[in-house]
Amino acid sequence: MNIRRRHKLEYLAAWLLILAFSAWTINLLFNVQNDWAQSNEITRFDQDVHGLLDPWRNLNRPGNDVLENYEVDTQNKALERYIAEYSEARARLEAHRATHVPMADFFAAMDEAAATANDLASRVLRLATEREALRLSEAAPDSIRLVETEAATTMARMDQAFQGGLDLIVKMDESLDRRLLDLDASRRASIGSLYLIVLVALTSSALSLVLLRRTATQGEALRSGAERINAIVNNVVDGIITVDESGNVKSINRTAEHMFGYNAAQIVDRSFTELVAPDRRAQYNEERFRLESADTGREESEYLGRRLDGSEFSMELATTRIKVDGRPLLIYIVRDISERKHAEERLQLAASVFENTTEGILITDPNGVIQSSNPAFTAMTGFTADEVVGENPRILQSGTQSADFYDAMWRSIIETGHWQGEIQNRRKNGEIYPQWLNINAIKNARGQIINYVGVTFDISELKASERIKDEFIATVSHELRTPLTSIHGSLGLLGGGVTGELSDDSARLVRIAQGNCQRLVRLIDDILSIAKIESEKMQFHLQSVAIHDLIGRAIEANQDFGKQYGVHLQARPGAREARVLADMDRLMQVLTNLLSNAVKHSPRGGVVLIGVQRRAGYWRISVVDNGPGIPESFRENIFSKFAQADGSDRRKGGGTGLGLSICKAIMDRLGGRIGFTSERDVRTSFYFELPVMQRQHTASEMVSRSPEPQEPSTWME
Amino acid sequence: MAQPTLSRILYVEDDADIREIVRMSLEMLGQFQVAACDSCADALSLIHEFSPDLLLLDVMMPDVDGPATLRALRERVSAESAPAIFITAKVEASDMLRYRDMGVLDVIVKPFDPMVLSGRIEQIWQRHWSSFNDNGG
Repeated sequence: MNIRRRHKLEYLAAWLLILAFSAWTINLLFNVQNDWAQSNEITRFDQDVHGLLDPWRNLNRPGNDVLENYEVDTQNKALERYIAEYSEARARLEAHRATHVPMADFFAAMDEAAATANDLASRVLRLATEREALRLSEAAPDSIRLVETEAATTMARMDQAFQGGLDLIVKMDESLDRRLLDLDASRRASIGSLYLIVLVALTSSALSLVLLRRTATQGEALRSGAERINAIVNNVVDGIITVDESGNVKSINRTAEHMFGYNAAQIVDRSFTELVAPDRRAQYNEERFRLESADTGREESEYLGRRLDGSEFSMELATTRIKVDGRPLLIYIVRDISERKHAEERLQLAASVFENTTEGILITDPNGVIQSSNPAFTAMTGFTADEVVGENPRILQSGTQSADFYDAMWRSIIETGHWQGEIQNRRKNGEIYPQWLNINAIKNARGQIINYVGVTFDISELKASERIKDEFIATVSHELRTPLTSIHGSLGLLGGGVTGELSDDSARLVRIAQGNCQRLVRLIDDILSIAKIESEKMQFHLQSVAIHDLIGRAIEANQDFGKQYGVHLQARPGAREARVLADMDRLMQVLTNLLSNAVKHSPRGGVVLIGVQRRAGYWRISVVDNGPGIPESFRENIFSKFAQADGSDRRKGGGTGLGLSICKAIMDRLGGRIGFTSERDVRTSFYFELPVMQRQHTASEMVSRSPEPQEPSTWME
Repeated sequence: MAQPTLSRILYVEDDADIREIVRMSLEMLGQFQVAACDSCADALSLIHEFSPDLLLLDVMMPDVDGPATLRALRERVSAESAPAIFITAKVEASDMLRYRDMGVLDVIVKPFDPMVLSGRIEQIWQRHWSSFNDNGG
């Protein structure tokens, strides 16, 4: 039972096996139950025997003198024999409970005998009582004898009843014996078989237990193993496809399904070549046959795979050939390598760029130790990769840059991961050359710097061409000015009467020629000027400029020009402390342009006011006239090149139309702004604004005070 | 030291027209004695014989430019005995710094006004000598 419970509890499956044996066990149970039934029969046997004997025993009880003078010995002896027989029968019955002797008849007979015995015993007792009463009443002896005779007869009949009961018992005993003999053999056999059954049951249980355990474990192992393999096969990043000897797909995992866009049902039992790009199928077949001729083996090759939708992709096939049930099976592990291919291509491209670019590339580790350099670097510096790898880029230094230069460079690289600029380095042959260098810190995913990459190109030719351009500008300037100088000089001398007095008409013609000559000079100046500003070739020498001084100098320099137009230039009282960081010459250029415009557009007798005002963070320097103002239509384009309000403007003012665009270009370079307000015929104000600079006494300030009133082009320093 | 009178100017200019105008201007309006040369070599051959008070040099000249001419002339005559002025259209800030470093008195910008050229040169001369005397020269 324990085993059963354990089985039941532990192994549901074992229950079924155990059930097969439980029939035997149930059989056993029935036997035990029969035993119990038999035991009930013994009890009843006892009761019946007592029912038979007790009346006599009560009658014959010692002290009961009812049966005095009666011959009771016979009965007592019969009873003794009867009890002996009964005991023996009972013992046998007791000893062999499970004999299945049918006892119902026996019991019925016994019941009848017992009832008769009881009846007779009662009659004997009544007769004995009657005899006693007769004897006491001294009745006739005859009547007493009659009673005594009847009693004796009754007692004899009681004896017969006993004898009948005894016969019954003996008979039962005999049948019991016979039954026992029958049973003994079968019982022995059944006990043997019981042992056998128990043994078999136990062995089977144990076996089944072991078996069950094993199967359970194996089952579990098998199940989990199979599941695991399935899980692995279905979830590996590689596609797995098996192909039989005829080249048909036998199985395909989920990854491969996704990879090729097929589901298993669409491709299983179809040729694997469907998964290969048409123009690669011949190659595939060839290799498959070659591999099949080998016993087992593994091979990797690259193919172009073909998806269900017809698109193609690079795949790698790792082929393993095995034998299953003596038949060859190809296992393909398919890897989509298009990413890798792209990466390879990108890498190849990068490598090709690295090798073939005209920019020199230098890669260092985080400590600045050179790890690699490209051919362009070698071409530029003369150092081969072998010569620089393991070295510090310091070997390239020309010594022409200060330590501060390198400090600033490294500060920028550390703070922003980047630096670019012009630097002079030394070639292997000792030649110092200018190069443009762009350094970038390369970081990994964790933000750590893993490399520095320097991309550089030789700008000596660029520099040379810039020099050529500068020279060209200078040459053009010189070549244009030289004849102009002659014309201008000749006209000057003529007009000045050096060669003799001119007629009025001649003098007027000379003045016209002179005016246009001057205008041509200004035009050349302005064009060159704006070209230089815009190409950022113009060098700005930033210094602290006192606006008050600037205004004073501008007025002095342009007062004579004003006089020509009958216009007076005047400074408005303003902030003497105003200072800006700017290039003095360029500010003079701007202010001169604004003053010149104001003068030219002022009415004769007018006044041009120059002032400075503080605006939020800025100084605004304004030039105000009371001329006609700026026509609406012209306002939008006023800072464009060659912009003049109308054709007559040009003739009247003799300007080039470049003045304001030069002013704007200069302001753009200085980080300031330029603008105007105009009220027709009342007031026009052109202004420029520059950031406020805190006052400080500098040498340049002292220098800038030194007056050079007549010729602004002379020393400014 | 008494201020010397400016009377003899050695002028080097490759452009003949300008050379003529300057010469006329200086001689007719300034009453100076002018030795007008067309090149450095010409100037070198004249300088001892002419013994100028002042050198007036163009800058942009073929073969030997103004600064180089000045350096060559300085081997024959000192800045004290014959200071120099450049007369040129090449007046970028960087050019001006270079001229200053060469110790010239000033630069006259082309195109110039021939009517005031002599006065301008005289003015520079005066200023030079007054500062020279102020500085204990």
